Amino acid sequence: MSSDTPLLKVENLSVEFRTENGVVKAVDDVSFEVNEGEPVGIVGESGSGKSVTALTLLQLVPNPPGRVTGGRILLDGVDILSKSQSQMRNIRGNLASMIFQEPMTALNPVFTIANQMVEVIRVHQKVSKREALQIAIRMLDTVNIPTPEKCVKQYPHELSGGMRQRVMIAMALSCNPKLLIADEPTTALDVTVQAQVLKEIHQQQSERNMGMILITHDLGVVAETCKRVIVMYKGKIVEEAETEQLFRNPRHPYTQKLLSSVLSMRD
Amino acid sequence: MDADTTDQSSGTSAGQSLWSKSARKFRRDRFGLASLAIVGLYAVVALGVWLGLWGQGWSTLGEESFAGVSGEHWFGTNLNGQDIFQRAIAGTKTAFEVGLLVAVVSTLIGGFLGAIAGFYSGTWIDEVIMWLYGCIDAIPFYLFVAAIAFALEGFPYAMHVAMITTFWSSTCRIVRGEVIKIRSLEYIQAAHAIGVKPMTIILRHVSPNTFHILLVQGTIAFVGAIKSEVILTFLGLGVKEGVSWGRMLTESTQDVLRGHFGNFLAASIFLFILVIAFNMFADALQDATDPKKISS
Amino acid sequence: METLQYTIRKLIYSIPLLFGVTLIAFTLMVYFGPDLTDSILGKNPTAEQIADVRSELGYDAPFFVRYFMFLKEVVTFDFGSSMSSGEDVRSILARTVPVSFAVALPAFILSNLLGVGLALLAAYHRGGFWDKFVMVFAVVGMSVSYLMIVIAFQIIFSTSYGLNWFPVQGWIDPPPDYPDATFFEIAYYYWYNYWLYVTVPTLASIFVALGYNTRFFRAVIVEELNRDYVRTARAYGIGNGTIMLKHVLKNALIPIATRIIISLPFVIIAGNLLLEKFFGIPGVGLVTYDAITNGDLPVVKAVVTSTAILYVFALILTDIAYKVIDPRITYSK
Repeated sequence: MSSDTPLLKVENLSVEFRTENGVVKAVDDVSFEVNEGEPVGIVGESGSGKSVTALTLLQLVPNPPGRVTGGRILLDGVDILSKSQSQMRNIRGNLASMIFQEPMTALNPVFTIANQMVEVIRVHQKVSKREALQIAIRMLDTVNIPTPEKCVKQYPHELSGGMRQRVMIAMALSCNPKLLIADEPTTALDVTVQAQVLKEIHQQQSERNMGMILITHDLGVVAETCKRVIVMYKGKIVEEAETEQLFRNPRHPYTQKLLSSVLSMRD
Repeated sequence: MDADTTDQSSGTSAGQSLWSKSARKFRRDRFGLASLAIVGLYAVVALGVWLGLWGQGWSTLGEESFAGVSGEHWFGTNLNGQDIFQRAIAGTKTAFEVGLLVAVVSTLIGGFLGAIAGFYSGTWIDEVIMWLYGCIDAIPFYLFVAAIAFALEGFPYAMHVAMITTFWSSTCRIVRGEVIKIRSLEYIQAAHAIGVKPMTIILRHVSPNTFHILLVQGTIAFVGAIKSEVILTFLGLGVKEGVSWGRMLTESTQDVLRGHFGNFLAASIFLFILVIAFNMFADALQDATDPKKISS
Repeated sequence: METLQYTIRKLIYSIPLLFGVTLIAFTLMVYFGPDLTDSILGKNPTAEQIADVRSELGYDAPFFVRYFMFLKEVVTFDFGSSMSSGEDVRSILARTVPVSFAVALPAFILSNLLGVGLALLAAYHRGGFWDKFVMVFAVVGMSVSYLMIVIAFQIIFSTSYGLNWFPVQGWIDPPPDYPDATFFEIAYYYWYNYWLYVTVPTLASIFVALGYNTRFFRAVIVEELNRDYVRTARAYGIGNGTIMLKHVLKNALIPIATRIIISLPFVIIAGNLLLEKFFGIPGVGLVTYDAITNGDLPVVKAVVTSTAILYVFALILTDIAYKVIDPRITYSK
């Protein structure tokens, strides 16, 4: 894969939702690219379509209300939208992994960390249970969890919010994906923990040279970790630029508004 | 992001919008409307019997026992030559009598006690009410009814009383749960802090949000009552005079062994259609009024 | 250790419940119950005899004294003898409870297993054909009257208007006395007769219970399907089948198991009144029914109180089981 071809290429993506009040265009003709090893941020308020876009990349949008009405997604050369659900299983967690906002509910409460991580690893790699467990422990160690052998045997509710999110990160990285999609990964965490987890994500991303899409409503998060920023509003992309450029010279009025609210808080 | 207390409880003063949303949603549910129509039909029949418009000939003894289906006797006659169809029609009135009485009273009692228990949750009032329904739930239903039938010997509404005393507990439990949830919402705490009297809070803010529960529970109680009446009558604990579907089915146990199915079919069909219509109506009602399913 | 503390707390909490239940049972059955003076004395009693019997039965005593007398009976589990047969109530129970249990058990197991199976099927295809099919079937099951089903099944299976495969009523008679009958022959005899008499009642019970069970189970499962961890599992490539049968089922089993356990005491001891009366099965239900209609107080007292007490304990058991199954609760509080 030459560095000319982007890792992820999204072309004219449109996603509709059928609600009681009619059809809502959650994602409206969105196009963007992510290169190998490049961290990209998608910023916008709730309802801007950023999460739906991310879910669509792995065909995770629930089909009764949601429907892809147009566009193409090329992930590492794979035409995502043409794949069936069962074909997607090889891609999810393997080629691209996703981390969600609420670590408390994202993990299954009645199974141990080991159980869940081993399951994911064995879906994508031909290893024995014991080998998978070793991989899991190693991954937990990589994300700086203090006692991985102990942690692995615990249940999700026994861990703190920050630890749970690290576990999710470990799970996401366990099969060496080329693309990491993080949907508001720190929003639900305590403020004190947010910075640490964010640093962890940033470190993993650059060390492994993964492409990353970091979704957030918080411009501060983006400033620290992303090379490029995409701003979304009501399903459309309104601005896209290198991070520094965006902060210094925002062009779209919406971006300007976003920035001004951040700056006023800094005062 | 807005505080999500708007989910269902902004319902009160915006209570109208919740109601109209429910109504609209219900109107779109075809099965719900169809079942409501059927229930309405039955209600009209029952009303007609009560007003003396039809179904009055259910007790007239006839000459021909076990006559087959004919133009005169749509379901034939029973052992005493009584017209089965007339009896089935008259039975509708009995069914509604039992159903309405039990449903309305048990739901009101359950709702009221549930609201109080929930509102004063954690205090001795709550404990007493929970203890009360714990006790009642512990006694098997039919035995309880029998015991009450004994105690209230001769009282024609013994069965109704028995049903009411058992049915109120499920409504109570659900309402209590809801009230506890509502009570912890911010705007209720605010009202309390300002010094609005508890009674006012209950009536003005809590009740509208629990009304849909009462409605659904009422329909469930209605169905439960009619079905229980059938079995209680069979056991000799239910309707003693007059005619009801329970009596018809009880009679039919003998008829059937001799190959006469009129009683059985008539009572079964009438009962089954009403119950299934009511059940579907209850479902549709639940879907339409469940605040979680209504987009706000 | 913590579970032990919890158990003790729950037991203590159940004491007022037990008092309440016995009080209600007492008030209804004994205090307002039938005046037994006549049945004991027979015709033309003298005023003196009446007075004697009344004081012997304690009718003159104040409410709470009589209540304590009742409690004594409960605690020692000695309710005296049946008024119709004279048999000691305890031996009646010992004889009939196993029968009721034997009849109720297959239906209980099957209706719950099938219920879970059908619910899984419906939830897996939610919105689709199988979902609707199962749900319609469930609503129909819920809407038929028990009596209707019992009569209908009797017609279909047991009379000459139908298949006539099974007896209309009755229960296993003691085996005829063959001196050289082997153990297996006797066992087979019981086995064969058991199924001969139990099948139709069981089918009737299942038909009715299945509707309720399936609806509840399906609701639980669908609610679990909407949880975040299911989304995570899908996001990591786990197949739908595994998600249903591993991830969702274990979580869904918590409320499901709770409900099943709560219904257990009524299966064990109450004995389905209607079923037994109709099919002539000599279980607790039938005996109770006869007792009710004949005003046979000791039997009714025994059954009501024992069921109620069992229920209270079942509640405690459920709470404890709940704590053990769900690791969250065990650790968090």
